[in-house]
Amino acid sequence: MWCLWRNIAPLFVACLFSAPARPAHAQAASAASTHAEIELIAEQSVPAPGEPFWVGLLFTIDPGWHIYWRNPGDSGEPPKVQWQLPRGFRAGFFEWPTPIRLGSGSVVDYGYQGRVLLMAPITVPAGARAKTIADIAADVKYIVCSEICIPGKAHLTLLLPDSGNTAAQSGDSRELFRQTRERLARPSPANWKTSVVSDKDHFIVTVHGMPPPQSVTFFPLRPGVIENSAPQVLESTGGGFRLTLKKSDQYTSYPLFRGILVLGSGRGIQISAMILPGQA
Amino acid sequence: MKKGVAGTMIVGFALLVGAVMMARAARVGDRAPDFTATDSNGKAHKLSDYTGKYVVLEWTNRGCPYTQKHYNSGNMQKLQKEWTGRGVIWLTVVSSAPGKQGYVAAADENAYVKEVHAAPTAVLLDPTGTLGHLYDAKTTPHMYVVNPQGTLIYNGAIDDRPTTDVSDVNGAKNYVSLALDEAMAGKAVSAPATRPYGCSVKYPD
Repeated sequence: MWCLWRNIAPLFVACLFSAPARPAHAQAASAASTHAEIELIAEQSVPAPGEPFWVGLLFTIDPGWHIYWRNPGDSGEPPKVQWQLPRGFRAGFFEWPTPIRLGSGSVVDYGYQGRVLLMAPITVPAGARAKTIADIAADVKYIVCSEICIPGKAHLTLLLPDSGNTAAQSGDSRELFRQTRERLARPSPANWKTSVVSDKDHFIVTVHGMPPPQSVTFFPLRPGVIENSAPQVLESTGGGFRLTLKKSDQYTSYPLFRGILVLGSGRGIQISAMILPGQA
Repeated sequence: MKKGVAGTMIVGFALLVGAVMMARAARVGDRAPDFTATDSNGKAHKLSDYTGKYVVLEWTNRGCPYTQKHYNSGNMQKLQKEWTGRGVIWLTVVSSAPGKQGYVAAADENAYVKEVHAAPTAVLLDPTGTLGHLYDAKTTPHMYVVNPQGTLIYNGAIDDRPTTDVSDVNGAKNYVSLALDEAMAGKAVSAPATRPYGCSVKYPD
């Protein structure tokens, strides 16, 4: 079990030499070839009345390998979960931390390396016994890639904090949820004016209401909108910036342009704008 | 001031690179880029020689789990048989570079085609990635359909289930068959461009 934490718990390096001892909750994952360990963890031991109970898939990915964002980019696919929930419980959607660009050349993907937590809220019915939350489970399908790709699946049962089994469970999981919230894109500031114009081959995103940033990276929420591998051309304007993005060969037409802008190395900012026709 | 000039130059360079490198390669409705490529039997195939016929281009990599889904289930072979039986030219393309997953020598490819009962018109070997880049093929599989006039009428995924699960083949909407059926019936292709799904094409570094 400790082996899961080898990347964050140097004290447990000894586990590297006893790798065959696999934890029961990840038994469906096929040995060491999967290149990613997954755990289903909870933020709290007990649901707080009237508040969502946050759980998350914690991926610990081998160096050089990656998994995918909700829009995977040119290749791959995001992890998918089928929840197994006690009666009356309901699961919400994942919160996806801001991804990074992966790959170079003509195929560019969006995803995560290292460690990432995909958190989701579970609505627990009033009067549910605290004990039943231990019955939350998930079947997960995912693909992990480096140069090559390996699909994986796992049946995961919930690990509660403070159960004392692993380093994370003794209090670290709350910190993981807190850090993950820091990595979620936030709504655009109220003073931003964002517009998106479509010409023959490009989308021109203009943001007004801030000093021009040093760098900007755009991550589209859905596939088939921009050419992921094309340079994103940034120009400063008086009160902000303009970002020119090449259209995807698969682009047909959608009314809404949605995605995340990352300014410099900062936090992601959500944008959503109607696409306006420009000059052809 | 210096910074400003450098910044302008970088933007200018990026624009130039963008214009040269990033012309949309294979856009539905445009003429499909012509090419000549050599198959696993040493025979050359020129796209424009097939004017008058429908042509399907299928990017493949036998080590890729998304490709394996369609070959292990027999789905790809079934499509190849069905459509070549109806006069369609089906060209499977291998753009994996030497040393990378899916790279294959001609003799080995011919043995593999036999072993898995694949039935394309030909397998084009593209180890330099020239043909792949010409069409901007992203994934394996990535599918294209060219109509008898030489116009690209489909660019995208093989079907609407972007997974590696063999169980997802049944019941999937196959976009290649849809495009061919509609076009042959004289209708507009209802889903002419979709996001291709699969492993990245293993181009040379």
